Amino acid sequence: MLKRAIGVITCWLLFTGNAMADESDRILEITGLITDGSVTLDRNAVHDFPLTTIETSTVVTDGIHSFTGVLMRDLLELLQSTGETVTAIALNEYAVDIPITDFYDYDVVVAYKMDGETLTRDDKGPLWIVYPRDDHQALQDIRFDYRWVWQLYRLDIK
Amino acid sequence: MSRFVGPSIRLALPLVAVLVFAILLIFSLQRMFEVERDMRVEAEQNMLWVFHQSEVTALRLIETVALAELGQTGPDELALRFDLLASRVALLNDGPQRRFLEHVGLDEDLDSLGASLDRIALNIETFTPDQATVLRQDLTPLARFFGRAANTSMIAEWDDLGGRLETYRDQLGQIILSLIGIMIAGGILTVTLFASLHQSRQKNRMLWRERDFSGLLISSSGEGIIAIDSAGECTLWNGAISSIVGIPAEKALGRAPADIAGFFDMSTIRQALSEALEGQTSSLSFQPFFSPDSERPLYLDVSFFPMRNEAEIVGAIVFMHDASDRYAAQQKDAQDRDRLEELVAERTQDLDSALKRERSAADLYRNFAAMVSHQFRTPLAVADSALQRLIRRGPHADIDEVAERAGRARNAISGLTRLVDSTLDAARLDAGQVGARRTQYDLTEIIQAVCARQRDAAPERPIKINLDTSAAPTAFCDPAHVEQVIENLLSNADKYAPAGTLVSVSLNGNAKNLFCDVHNIAAPIPAHDQEKIFERNQRGANSAGVAGTGIGLFMARALARMQDGEVTLQPSKNGITFRLTLPRYTPGAS
Repeated sequence: MLKRAIGVITCWLLFTGNAMADESDRILEITGLITDGSVTLDRNAVHDFPLTTIETSTVVTDGIHSFTGVLMRDLLELLQSTGETVTAIALNEYAVDIPITDFYDYDVVVAYKMDGETLTRDDKGPLWIVYPRDDHQALQDIRFDYRWVWQLYRLDIK
Repeated sequence: MSRFVGPSIRLALPLVAVLVFAILLIFSLQRMFEVERDMRVEAEQNMLWVFHQSEVTALRLIETVALAELGQTGPDELALRFDLLASRVALLNDGPQRRFLEHVGLDEDLDSLGASLDRIALNIETFTPDQATVLRQDLTPLARFFGRAANTSMIAEWDDLGGRLETYRDQLGQIILSLIGIMIAGGILTVTLFASLHQSRQKNRMLWRERDFSGLLISSSGEGIIAIDSAGECTLWNGAISSIVGIPAEKALGRAPADIAGFFDMSTIRQALSEALEGQTSSLSFQPFFSPDSERPLYLDVSFFPMRNEAEIVGAIVFMHDASDRYAAQQKDAQDRDRLEELVAERTQDLDSALKRERSAADLYRNFAAMVSHQFRTPLAVADSALQRLIRRGPHADIDEVAERAGRARNAISGLTRLVDSTLDAARLDAGQVGARRTQYDLTEIIQAVCARQRDAAPERPIKINLDTSAAPTAFCDPAHVEQVIENLLSNADKYAPAGTLVSVSLNGNAKNLFCDVHNIAAPIPAHDQEKIFERNQRGANSAGVAGTGIGLFMARALARMQDGEVTLQPSKNGITFRLTLPRYTPGAS
């Protein structure tokens, strides 16, 4: 549904000053209960967040992989979100509601690298919500597994 | 036998119940762990959704190709849709998804379709509307494959799910059965628990009752009871023992008996107590107990018993009983018995002497004839010879001579009369009918009279009389008996002395007795004959060829003894001396 042509939105980089992002680099769109109503982040903006790396197995791959990206709670705090639920939407319109408490209970990462390699759109990129599945028994549950949204492009905060 | 079977069955049932309980619990736990593990594994797979999404992605690409052919969408959208499809294929080729495809046998189809993806990518990149048909034809098998794979995976997952549910059902069924078994076992355990609780409460009640009863028995017992533990300390001291010993229980409990009262420190008591602690039972009778309150001792019967618990000796129990009354009764019995024995001995002696008297009387009578012939011969001979001389002298005899001769005969006859009287008296005395008629009498008179008669009877025999006149020769005696004794001794001396030798009669004495010794020359009497000659009808070895009855010395001694005198054979250097001993007369004696 989303078309790149439609996303004519300016990205304000909250901590590096406002700058117009390159349209082709826009990778995450955030809407809903945040200070500015709607924000679109490009790849550089995402990269400017503090890095977090977690190691975990996943249900769709074999073995343990390291994932590098941004902590969800860091992202939401910088955007001064006031909502309770985040609806994560993938490029194929797969949508899941995630309670914000998840991000405070666990180190949930919006990853853009797996095993040091940037995730691409023809795999699980550009962004993949990753839970630290191996660190918590509670996360080894299908009710958490469906929250691992890959090809993420939009977060709607409610 | 049933007493031993009962408890073991009662014990076996709960044991079996516990065993069943444990086995079933372990079994059901194991089953539940299995279910839990199965629920974790593979629960994440959701291949139906994966294939559905893949099919939709393929169809969306086909749709986008058609729109692009019509010029209604651009290359960016086309690239996005292709990337999404490529990501789907990549996903399917990843670990778990790939294994599922291999499991259902679709992996080769995916490989051949995946190979077409490079060609499609090239066509997408350099898209021109006239390529659209070819592109759609290339994409259609992909969409169809995903649809078919969705179908297959649905069936496979349902088969798997059905199988798993069946397994779960089986396992749950087993768990339910186990739980029912556990409940039953638990029920049995609960019932036996309540039963045994009830039983133990009942037994407890019974034990308390018995304890109270035992306590009552001990405290109300008239016997003193002491219990000692294995350390030798007093653990029980009942009321009766308190009153016997005079020490209350508070002062006795917890102390060694030897420290409580000196009575228990006596060696016999101490030993019996230590033996009881080693398992031996013992009893002591009439143990004297000196109470500080009374002068006379109590006599106690004390019994000692070991107290056992199973085989172990846990102490000793002592029973004490005041047996003073019984002791006194026993003492009195012993005294009575002694007195009775004395009495019997006395009576026996009386009877013996009566019997002896009876026998000697009988003997006297039996030998009366012998005596008469022996004793009476001498006076008869005297009278006879006097009368013969008178007859021989006839007319030549003057009046004095007749008177003298007749007087001698009369003397002999009167002596004979006295002898008869005396013998009869002696016989009566022997028979216990008459006592000796004792009186004070001058022995010199008797001696001179007897000697005179003997000279008359045997004129050729010289007889010498020695009278010690320093003391009064008065004896306390029966003169007839004494005369007879001396006559006997004198006639014996005459009989056994060689002809012409001197026979002497002497009288002397000491403070108490008078002695009349008759001595003659003769061979000494052998030692073994010295007592025999005093027996009835015995004659000495030297009497051969001499007339005699063997009764003279027996009679002499019997008559002497009858008046507290004695006839004995005196040791003599030259010849034989018989001594008649008679008590001196003392004024006041009867």
